[in-house]
Amino acid sequence: MAENSGDLVQGTLDMLILKTLALEPMHGYGISVRIEQMSQGVFRVNAGSLFVAFQRLQRAGLIKTEWKATENSRRAKYYILTEKGRKRLSSEKREWGKQVAAIARILEAS
Amino acid sequence: MSLLQNIAGGLRSLLRRKQVSQELDEELNAFLRMAAEGKMKEGMSREEALRSVRLERGNLEGAKETVRTAGWESFFETSWQDVRFGLRTLRKSPGFTAVAVLTLALGIGANTAMFSVIEGVLLSPLPYRQPDRLVVLWGNNLTLKHFISPSYPDFRDWQGGSRSLEQFAALTWQSYDLTAPGTPEHVDGKLVSSGFFSALGVNLALGREFSEEEDRHGGPPVVIISDRLRKDRFAPDSEVLNKSVVLNGVAYTIAGVLPPGFQFIDSADVYTPLGQGNPLYLDDRSVHAIFGFARLKPGVSLAQAQGDMNVVQDNIVRLYPAIDQGVGIQIETLKQVLVGDVRGTLLLLLGTVGLVLLIACANVANLLLARSAGRTREFAVRFALGANRARIIRQLVTESVLLALGGSALGLMMAKPGLDAALAAVPGGLPRAENISVNVYVLLFTFAISMAVGILFGLAPALKSSKTDLQSSLKEGGRGSTGRHHRAQNTLVVVQVALALIILVGAGLLFRSVRRLWRADPGFALQHTFTFKVGLSPTAVKTPEGQRNAFRQLTERVGEIPGVEAADLTALMPLSQRDNAGPFWVGSEAPASIAQAPRATFYWIGPDYLRVMGIPLLRGRSFTPEDTINTERVVAIDSDLARGYFSDKDPVGQTMMIPHWGSVRVVGVVGHVNHWDLADTSRYTQNQIYAPYYQLQDRWVPVFYGDMRMAVRTPLDLAAVLPAIKAAVLAMGSDQTVYDVQSMQVVASTSMSKQRLPMILLGAFAGLALLLASIGIYGVISYSIARRIHEIGIRMALGAERSDVRWLVIGQGLRLVLAGIAIGAVVTLVLAHLLSSFSSLLYGVGASDPATLGAVSLLLAVVAVVACYVPARRAMSVDPMVALRYE
Repeated sequence: MAENSGDLVQGTLDMLILKTLALEPMHGYGISVRIEQMSQGVFRVNAGSLFVAFQRLQRAGLIKTEWKATENSRRAKYYILTEKGRKRLSSEKREWGKQVAAIARILEAS
Repeated sequence: MSLLQNIAGGLRSLLRRKQVSQELDEELNAFLRMAAEGKMKEGMSREEALRSVRLERGNLEGAKETVRTAGWESFFETSWQDVRFGLRTLRKSPGFTAVAVLTLALGIGANTAMFSVIEGVLLSPLPYRQPDRLVVLWGNNLTLKHFISPSYPDFRDWQGGSRSLEQFAALTWQSYDLTAPGTPEHVDGKLVSSGFFSALGVNLALGREFSEEEDRHGGPPVVIISDRLRKDRFAPDSEVLNKSVVLNGVAYTIAGVLPPGFQFIDSADVYTPLGQGNPLYLDDRSVHAIFGFARLKPGVSLAQAQGDMNVVQDNIVRLYPAIDQGVGIQIETLKQVLVGDVRGTLLLLLGTVGLVLLIACANVANLLLARSAGRTREFAVRFALGANRARIIRQLVTESVLLALGGSALGLMMAKPGLDAALAAVPGGLPRAENISVNVYVLLFTFAISMAVGILFGLAPALKSSKTDLQSSLKEGGRGSTGRHHRAQNTLVVVQVALALIILVGAGLLFRSVRRLWRADPGFALQHTFTFKVGLSPTAVKTPEGQRNAFRQLTERVGEIPGVEAADLTALMPLSQRDNAGPFWVGSEAPASIAQAPRATFYWIGPDYLRVMGIPLLRGRSFTPEDTINTERVVAIDSDLARGYFSDKDPVGQTMMIPHWGSVRVVGVVGHVNHWDLADTSRYTQNQIYAPYYQLQDRWVPVFYGDMRMAVRTPLDLAAVLPAIKAAVLAMGSDQTVYDVQSMQVVASTSMSKQRLPMILLGAFAGLALLLASIGIYGVISYSIARRIHEIGIRMALGAERSDVRWLVIGQGLRLVLAGIAIGAVVTLVLAHLLSSFSSLLYGVGASDPATLGAVSLLLAVVAVVACYVPARRAMSVDPMVALRYE
């Protein structure tokens, strides 16, 4: 990982991928660019981690794939959020919100 | 759900590996291209863009590998790689591989053989319906503390009163002379009650079971025959039902045919209704002559049934106190009855063979340690290239599992012939021996132990050698670190020697027991004695007087044969594993109940039998041809009975009481014979009573007919006199047969099968253990010599003599062996006190016999010196100059 890319908290990459796909189906590169843009360059995802995460999510049934033409009419594998994935995203969002709030309270306590 | 998807995804990758991998390639290429295009839009050149993507996104080849190895399915792929690599490595050192595989084959083969015995005899279910619900019902003579056969009236009352058991069935043994169809033959038979086959849950191949009408006195003569008899006596595909076979001169109608291979306790060719048996032993409550079993009702436990039946028996005792006072009831599972005796011995042997396998494992572990010492550099290089420790351990364990699998394949091939040879050496040594085979359970067992063993002996060396210090081993230039391996190897040798000592002591003790048994005086002559049975002609058998005359005539004819010193009849032979015990008492006062009277073994004999058997007459006279049914009833008693019941007076001339026979006069006292086995210990009665066969009352003559046996004393070979005997028998009538010819030597050796089978197996295992341990010592010493060549060269250069070097080497080996012997001896002494299933096999030697321990220790030490001698010679021939230049 590049030194300036903040290491992702364990397990959050999955959530970010799901979030990206919640907007529209996307191919691997598109997802990595979107995560980078949305985080304003804080997260730069290593290709290895990204594709392992795809495999994991796919096996868990949270995303599915489809080969489609890109905007430049090239073939690419698109990842699509499943219904199960959508539910998981919202539950993880809730959980994440709770955790962040809790951590913030602890850090600001003193 | 997600687990299932995970499995499905993994399987998809496994099965369509190529396609999945292509897809991944394509996807990653697309990723790379798109990323580069993005960069090029920002104005980079193509090369710059690609390089920058690689920098930012990591190595894409690496990513591919990461994705590929992330799923569980990659385990198989790497395992397959390990296996291929392991095979390649093993092929590169064929000597090591051959020794390791052979060693493991010996250990695993012995275990496979032993387990197939355990499986066939102890574990596999009996071939009946729900066999674990079948229980045997015994009488229990509380005075003698001895299980006895029940009497049939008691058994029928048990059946009537039981609430916990169902499907009662009974049988007794009876052999017949079969005279038609075909040539005369003696066949073993059983009398069985009407529900016998359905109680076992065995379906007849043809026909039907006996009805209750047939299962009673005076019922029509019907028979169920074995598959063998059907095949031997009738044309294939011919109708056999309602045909007849002639048994003891009576035509029996065939009601059914048994399935092939059916047997219960022992094999039999003809089954007739029990109810048609002799009323003397069926209707008399004091005659205990049947074997009975039943089924536990559903949901009833053995203990519950025992409690229920105790109540039933208590009621019977209240009804018939003069007979049954002192008789209890005992229930055992059928399996316990059939194989209970050998269970302890077999488990002991399995334990022993486990020790042999441990020795083999120690050997291979030693070889692996020596080998891995030489491979330190290989591991160091692989570490340096980025392999992690777990990966290297996995590789090494894969190699050892491969060795174990090779060993088990070879061992499986050796197990069957070895086992067959051992079983053939002791015929009848094991119950259910016909059921022993290498079946799927045995294969599973072998596979499981080879995996376990492969991991066991592979893991320790792998852990050790993977703990390599990179720096030093790369620097050391392949000489590796030796001290650590050395200690482990020495420990393994000490353990091997200790284990081998334990097994050797066990084998040695059994060997000495069997030798003592052979030398024990059984009280009669084993040499020059043999016995046979003979079928009389059906017309002679019809009346008691005809039978007596026929036997008298036969005895005379056999006695006249040249070379025969003496010949006469008996209804019971010592060591035959048969029993004819009955009650007696001395003095006028009868005991309160027959069950509480003392017991003696009864021998109905011809007048010359004692002379044939060389049983000494101590007082009084022996029987003469004048002792007949018309003269006073006389008996001879053995010295034990004389001592026990006539202690203060001369028994000769006294009378004693024998139920079913009456008052008898003692005319002689004879020597005691060892009836039960050559050691003859711990049986419930040692009293022996001899009575003249020609005084046997008419109604009992037919009962004993099938037991009568001719004993012959001759200095000639059995083969030399047998034709003359057959001719003499044939001269009495054309339909008579001589069968079941046994020399007393063979009978005696069969009686020792309890000791001989474990002796042979334990002896074989001990030989294996000794061989493996000596290989182990040899291997470790030669390895250490090879490592110490340099040192030995220096010693010799400094003036050490060759003999000094020899003693250096032998002393090193001997130290290990002595340590092993010391540890083994201590363990042996402890085990001797713990293993009662072993010490009960011994005769004439204690389980901690010092002579055996000493001899075995000496043997081990000698073998160790020999094993060290070869490497010692190599060390002696070291040329100091060469050794020093060796670096």
